[in-house]
Amino acid sequence: MENYLQNKEVILSVKDLSVRFSLRGKSLHAIRGVSLDVYKGESLAIVGESGSGKSVLTKNFIGLLDKNGTIDKGEILFEGMDLAKFKTEREWAKIRGKKIAMVMQDPMTSLNPLKTIGWQISEALILNRGMNHAQAKAETLNILKDVGISEPERRYKQYPHEFSGGMRQRVVIAIAVACSPEILICDEPTTALDVTIQAQILSLIKDLCRKYGMTTIYITHDLGVVANVADRIAVMYAGDIVEVGTSEEVFFDPKHPYTWALMSSLPQLGEKGHELYSIKGTPPKLFGVIRGDAFAPRNPQALKIDYMVRPPYFEISPTHKARTWLLDPRAPKIDPPECLKRLKELENIESGDMDE
Amino acid sequence: MLEYILKRTAGAIISLFVVITLIFVLLRLMPMEGYFGAEYDKLSEEVRASMLAEKGLDQPIYVQLFNFYKSLFQGDLGKSWIYRPNYPIVKILEKKIPYSLKIGVISMIFSLIVGIPLGAVMARFKGKFADKLGTAFIAIVEALPTAVLMLFLQLFFSSWFNLSLLFDKNNYATWVLPIFSISLLSICSYAMWMRRYMIDNINMDYVKLARAKGVSGSRIMFRHVFKNAFVPMAQFLPGSVLSTIIGSIYIEHLYSIPGTGSLLIDVIQLQDNTMVQALVLIYAAIGIAGMFLGDVLMALIDPRISFVKKGDDR
Repeated sequence: MENYLQNKEVILSVKDLSVRFSLRGKSLHAIRGVSLDVYKGESLAIVGESGSGKSVLTKNFIGLLDKNGTIDKGEILFEGMDLAKFKTEREWAKIRGKKIAMVMQDPMTSLNPLKTIGWQISEALILNRGMNHAQAKAETLNILKDVGISEPERRYKQYPHEFSGGMRQRVVIAIAVACSPEILICDEPTTALDVTIQAQILSLIKDLCRKYGMTTIYITHDLGVVANVADRIAVMYAGDIVEVGTSEEVFFDPKHPYTWALMSSLPQLGEKGHELYSIKGTPPKLFGVIRGDAFAPRNPQALKIDYMVRPPYFEISPTHKARTWLLDPRAPKIDPPECLKRLKELENIESGDMDE
Repeated sequence: MLEYILKRTAGAIISLFVVITLIFVLLRLMPMEGYFGAEYDKLSEEVRASMLAEKGLDQPIYVQLFNFYKSLFQGDLGKSWIYRPNYPIVKILEKKIPYSLKIGVISMIFSLIVGIPLGAVMARFKGKFADKLGTAFIAIVEALPTAVLMLFLQLFFSSWFNLSLLFDKNNYATWVLPIFSISLLSICSYAMWMRRYMIDNINMDYVKLARAKGVSGSRIMFRHVFKNAFVPMAQFLPGSVLSTIIGSIYIEHLYSIPGTGSLLIDVIQLQDNTMVQALVLIYAAIGIAGMFLGDVLMALIDPRISFVKKGDDR
């Protein structure tokens, strides 16, 4: 996949970012030196289990880190600015909405219950695109049509409680799109929706990103979502990106034991009559200092060095790298679990509907 | 909406009817000595009978009740028995209500204008100096026994600002202290609740989304959070406002204001039944009206409270 990088320009670049939270006098190291490039126009998925830091990482891009969190090291470069240095609301006002927008997880609570949805979408247009009320209304009706809400004229005047969950998420997406941002962050956009709606919302986001030329960052723990939408995947574990690569590379040629474990627990790979694979143990506590590979204690095949020295990134291809000692030439050869081979078979069977 | 209001009005009238009937019947069950003095037992049969007949007490209770309602619909609250014998109650109240009402309305407006914004400002600068100062102020006012606080206010403020200790309806300077005293407590309670509800709302997801779409901090406060925080306030506000209007017993006593504040206690002690009935009627009506207005106000602000049948709009 070397041609992936062709004609791609980096739009946002995270360099060695470290974020700490102070919690009841203790310091929690939520992001432990993450580096990541986001390319213009791509769709990047950040996957990982709860507490792996995927949400916290992206909240830094938009200045919505909780008050007790601070960036203690690193840079976030975007359009020649370092977002990690931003302190005041005034600085963020140039970015939020206008340049980087966000779709939140729970559409049931992310809309103001006392304002009509038309008002809420128009507000974004008036504030970010300097429209007057009449222009904003006309544009809002267009956007409502774009996100697949029928009878926009009538819906414009309605309140959030008159919409179902899926429809509300469309409104939330409409608000994000209304700002016409460069980057759209979707924080678990389908987690709160039922399965039948999920696919619709994902393809809606995909279509809109193509139409408006937005770069998308998905945050999710659902590999099914990832397979449907992502060009590239970053796997996070314990506040660190352990593996990053194009969708194909991470799905069909994963290198990090955590990625293996994550893939093995896909229900689609389970065999009838056998218990579904689950990762033993719990993620490490981020209060202390983590030595070596954070995943080692849960990895039955961990090497001695995994407990001692944090592995560097090993490059497998220009787009694919992983933080694991297994890729060191001196490491013993450990094969990925057998069941992962079945992913390829699944791909062949389902290739039709995997893409659309 | 209209259907809802009509339904609630009907409910309010029924509650009022139940309250009045109960009070009326209970008062009739009290010993007769209360009305006619300790000598009642020693009077002759004929005198007693004529005394009862004069007050209409010789008839069965249901007839008395019926007569009471009949005159009530003609706007007649009856005559006082003991407080001012045979003087129409309406006339007694006519003189007293305006004082309580004027003082009440002014303090209500004052406490709303100060209290609600104070709470909003405290929420906006939560944890900062303004918030700490406001919280300390509220804590002091709420923690001090009202009697002590009000007495201190009267004594110190009247000497500092050279104001009169007592109320004089013709001298508006004497209105200041009672109004300020009544407002103080409401201001603190409005500010406290407003701050609390606003802070609740600041942590909601819709505020995060508003920030994410680039709405500034103060715009979020005024255009998004304020109205949402006002919804729970809307329900108890009219009731609290109305209870301010009917006067503060203690403040009216303290400043010798000739209002309705202490009237109820006086007439209960005197067992002036018709006066008790009339006052209970007024207080109950105001209380019920407060709740009713609270519901209507909340419904006007919050579109989620809908009174028409749920459409299949989903």
